Amino acid sequence: MDVNELRKNAKVELDGHPYIVTEFQFVKPGKGQGLYKCKLKNMITGSVIDRTWRSGERLTAANVESHKMQFLFASGEAFTFMNTENYEQVEVQADLIGDDKYFLLDGIEAEVLFYNSRPVGVSLPSHIVMDVTECEPGVKGDTATNVTKGATVQTGLVVQVPLFIKKGERIKIDTRNKAYVERVNS
Amino acid sequence: MSHRPPLSDRQRVDVWDATLHATRSVLRGRGLREVLTPVRLSAVAVEPFIEPIGAAGGLLATSPELPMKRLLARGAPSIFQVAPCFRAAEHGDLHREQFHLVEWYRLDHDADTMRRDVEAVVAAVFEAVSAALEEPAVAAPSTWIEVSAVPLMERTLGVSLRGDEDVAALADALQPVRGALGDPLAAVPHEHLVSSPRAHTLAAWTAFFSTWCDARLDAWLLEQGAVGVHLVEFPTALAALSEVAPSADGRQVAHRFESHVSGRELANGYRELRDAAEQRRRFDDVNVLRDAMGLRPLPLDEAFLSELREPGLPPCAGVALGLERLVLLASARRRLGDVTIELGAPGG
Repeated sequence: MDVNELRKNAKVELDGHPYIVTEFQFVKPGKGQGLYKCKLKNMITGSVIDRTWRSGERLTAANVESHKMQFLFASGEAFTFMNTENYEQVEVQADLIGDDKYFLLDGIEAEVLFYNSRPVGVSLPSHIVMDVTECEPGVKGDTATNVTKGATVQTGLVVQVPLFIKKGERIKIDTRNKAYVERVNS
Repeated sequence: MSHRPPLSDRQRVDVWDATLHATRSVLRGRGLREVLTPVRLSAVAVEPFIEPIGAAGGLLATSPELPMKRLLARGAPSIFQVAPCFRAAEHGDLHREQFHLVEWYRLDHDADTMRRDVEAVVAAVFEAVSAALEEPAVAAPSTWIEVSAVPLMERTLGVSLRGDEDVAALADALQPVRGALGDPLAAVPHEHLVSSPRAHTLAAWTAFFSTWCDARLDAWLLEQGAVGVHLVEFPTALAALSEVAPSADGRQVAHRFESHVSGRELANGYRELRDAAEQRRRFDDVNVLRDAMGLRPLPLDEAFLSELREPGLPPCAGVALGLERLVLLASARRRLGDVTIELGAPGG
């Protein structure tokens, strides 16, 4: 692609990695060469870099696609997802998923990022409702605010919850920081 | 500088009415006649990094320069125009693919008079925009200074330059700043230009100039605060369509100037080149450079070149000022999109 196709949110390939343009500034002396000043985020690692291109230069568009996929099952170090549009299945390795494995409920939908047709990342909904499978009873009489206790949900994740949460209840969890958000009345 | 929120649709109408009225009043009051020239052309001025937009067998004007000079060659008096202009792939806070230049030419005057005109237009538009918006006035430049480009390059870079170096001499002169600026000539396609020394020199100076503007000039201009700056006496290779002649201190310089307000480039002016053969060589040089950079060479405006030879352009000076940028500065907004009337047009 020509550098003049650079825009905010354009996806380009640099040193074998896909980057997305997060900030973009075009400057040009009237009679001079244009400069395309960009902040770019590595779409896999999240690291941010600054790069400037000059008009006339060429660069490679990153072949990046995102698909809505449903989590089917885990086996060993692989997590299998299915494209909800064409039913194709793909295995995502555990290291790409990390602690997000605690949110992979059967059938949950996630955005799977592909780079050159290889899965390189999974992004979950920001909030997920899960069941409390184990939880100590709240201590009677303790009315202090901001006091929490541990609660285990069906995937084994332990989150800190308020004392009124009981085993068998459903709670909403923020997947970005694994924090309790609220009790869900079902 | 703090910025105010984008203009409302109604404010845009008011501000443009005030701007056009003030601009025309100043230039008419200073003795110029208003003209219109065609917007769809068979050729435009050949520039290294100004890309025309095609229009059904022709090109949309990148500036009204060549048609206005043809009017002068045919006997027009001093003239001005508010001209719609189009430049492909210019998108940014300070760039639009469609914009307006107010461009004017004076017979028998040097660029000095043009700079006084620029100052008068800027002051009048600042005042008119403030009045139209009924907002606290944005201060127009308190004073203007003239700074010679090459000595400013020397001072801001700590190098020694004459302003007429060839590629090898320019590379040598810039050696001390390679650490700080990187190699400003790295992007020059040297291997494609070795057989065209003039185009090679143009490519090197253009690359260096662009780097310098970004790395040093912009910051220096901001340090000048409310003082307007005319950058004068350009390196000879950057003459574009201006005359190259000795300066007061005897150096060969391009009689070209740029006017800047609050760090923004507003206007570009020339003591106009009148030598048709030299003009053709410069266009050819630019096309060699364009070809070497992988850009499409542009057709030459043969009608212009012919009239430049015969009957010939009378001695004159010209300047073009970006109206959208002037409105932006006068209204203290942040980006052109905050002040333009675009209505979803392409290139906005």
